[in-house]
Amino acid sequence: MHPGIYETVLRWIPEKSRVLDLGTGDGAFLARLVQTRHVTGEGVEKDSALVARCVERGLTVHQSDIADGLDQYGDSTFDFVLLLGTFQELISPAEIIRETFRVGREVIVSYSNFAHVRVRAQILFRGRTPITRSLPAPWYRTHNLHFLSLLDFQEFCRDLGVREANRACFNARGAVHFLPNFRAEEAVSLLQANSISGHSTTVERGEAKKETYQI
Amino acid sequence: MTTPHTDIVRGDLQDQKVVDYQSPLGVTQTKTVTLPGIQTQSGFTFDHVDVSYQTLGTLSPKRDNAVLVCHALSGDAHVAGLHPETGRPGWWDYHVGPGKAIDTDKLFVICPNVLGGCSGTTGPASLRPETGKPYGMSFPPVAIRDMVAVQAKLIDHLGIQRLLAVIGGSMGGMQALAWATDYPQRVQTCIPIATCISHSAMQIAFNEVGRRAILTDPDWNDGNYSEDRRPVHGLAVARMVGHVTYLSEFSMTHKFGRKRQKERDANGDKAEAAPFSVESYLHHQGQSFVKRFDPNSYLYLTKAIDQFDLFENGSQAEVLRGVRARFLVISFASDWLYPPVQSRELVRLLKRANVPVTYINLETPYGHDSFLIENPAFANVVRHYLENEHRHARN
Repeated sequence: MHPGIYETVLRWIPEKSRVLDLGTGDGAFLARLVQTRHVTGEGVEKDSALVARCVERGLTVHQSDIADGLDQYGDSTFDFVLLLGTFQELISPAEIIRETFRVGREVIVSYSNFAHVRVRAQILFRGRTPITRSLPAPWYRTHNLHFLSLLDFQEFCRDLGVREANRACFNARGAVHFLPNFRAEEAVSLLQANSISGHSTTVERGEAKKETYQI
Repeated sequence: MTTPHTDIVRGDLQDQKVVDYQSPLGVTQTKTVTLPGIQTQSGFTFDHVDVSYQTLGTLSPKRDNAVLVCHALSGDAHVAGLHPETGRPGWWDYHVGPGKAIDTDKLFVICPNVLGGCSGTTGPASLRPETGKPYGMSFPPVAIRDMVAVQAKLIDHLGIQRLLAVIGGSMGGMQALAWATDYPQRVQTCIPIATCISHSAMQIAFNEVGRRAILTDPDWNDGNYSEDRRPVHGLAVARMVGHVTYLSEFSMTHKFGRKRQKERDANGDKAEAAPFSVESYLHHQGQSFVKRFDPNSYLYLTKAIDQFDLFENGSQAEVLRGVRARFLVISFASDWLYPPVQSRELVRLLKRANVPVTYINLETPYGHDSFLIENPAFANVVRHYLENEHRHARN
């Protein structure tokens, strides 16, 4: 994942928030959040060897498959729920997003942009399933079940009734502000439930400029 | 260092023929102390109770490094090191000792034999003060919470206010849960392993088969048996059934398969009639168990396990509201006696009560016994968790 995504999430999460990190892996980023933002963090990870690494780091971690749901958590247990690098691996992303809004107030999701120029070019000119920096595995080996563009994600949010309160886009050169659906390889979005839109958050605004034209 | 196959060949330490086993602790002693009595959940009052226990390591000047190890059904106070008479290693020597998961260089480890047991703590085989004869079936019903109440007296006696951790597997895990709910101020960390909130019908059923084997042994004699005519056959069968439930299909296949005890007979022909290895293994387990275990204790302890219900004294919310401990819950994917779904339910209820819980379901393929055998993945998790908790305690 683009390092800019981690830096963005660190900025978006206020000190001492309660954070649930879904698909936390070896817990490296969650540990960073705990150390630098002093959050109360908890990870969910399905691989017991990675769970053991989280324990080594002194993190609170729960071994389970996100696909089995988040029934172990009560309503509104967390301020933020993170889905970094896991969103496209979920069989039922809409159900999981709904569930994250049950247990948390705001949700941060990262994903790869399938409408990036190189992806488009590989399909158009080579007639092949694209392999890029942010989609590195061939079709038969990828963990991703779903492929989407930035525009698709916006529509997905609209359909779910959640608001994309903030977004940051990246390619190899860094942050992308101009023509993101064409030029960005990866994006991270901060989602809020519509019912609480307008609710004051401490998150800084204006990072993602609204594009007037989209490709 | 160890491959899965050497793990299973060595197996657990309780009733194995342990060849060339070295314990870094050397010979360890078990002490017995007479403590003030308790009133049991059933209403019986013990004026005093004897408790047999082992301590390993050194209690820190701030008394903040004490770890209580709770043993399972067939365990005892001899948790680690070599027994002074038999030379056998303690039941958890793989995981308790210098530099091990429960590190006796840093931690002060306490392991008492449970109330109702038969290895030095007051139990059905103890002499009743009024009669001078063994209690037998006049021993009051024992609950997991009674065991824990006696352990609390021991911790008082040792001058320890708060335990860094209470850890145990199976019946020991139930004790750990009872500690966290009954003595919330005295437990910093609770580590229940391969255990449950309450027994399922299947778990009760296996225990009942074991009990029935003892009760129908003619030598049981309503619990009034003499030292030279104990219901050893019934107890051996109980142990055999129990032991099968502690293993897994994988471990039995790898350990025994269809191997025979003798591959060739006296004439050098294939020994078709020789017993299967698994048969002689179970016989050995039964025979070695009856030498060290009291049949009445087996009845009382299995009943205590079956009766245990974490929420017997209140609603889930009431029982868990007071819990102050952080939890590490461990289950094993191959454990069909205490399946992971039971640990997940425990974890769910704890999390819903806002108790900090880490949960790991280890892939160890050796069934319920996975916490008793040499198990590096298990040891690592326990070691790191305790190290972090110990660091927290000192800061």
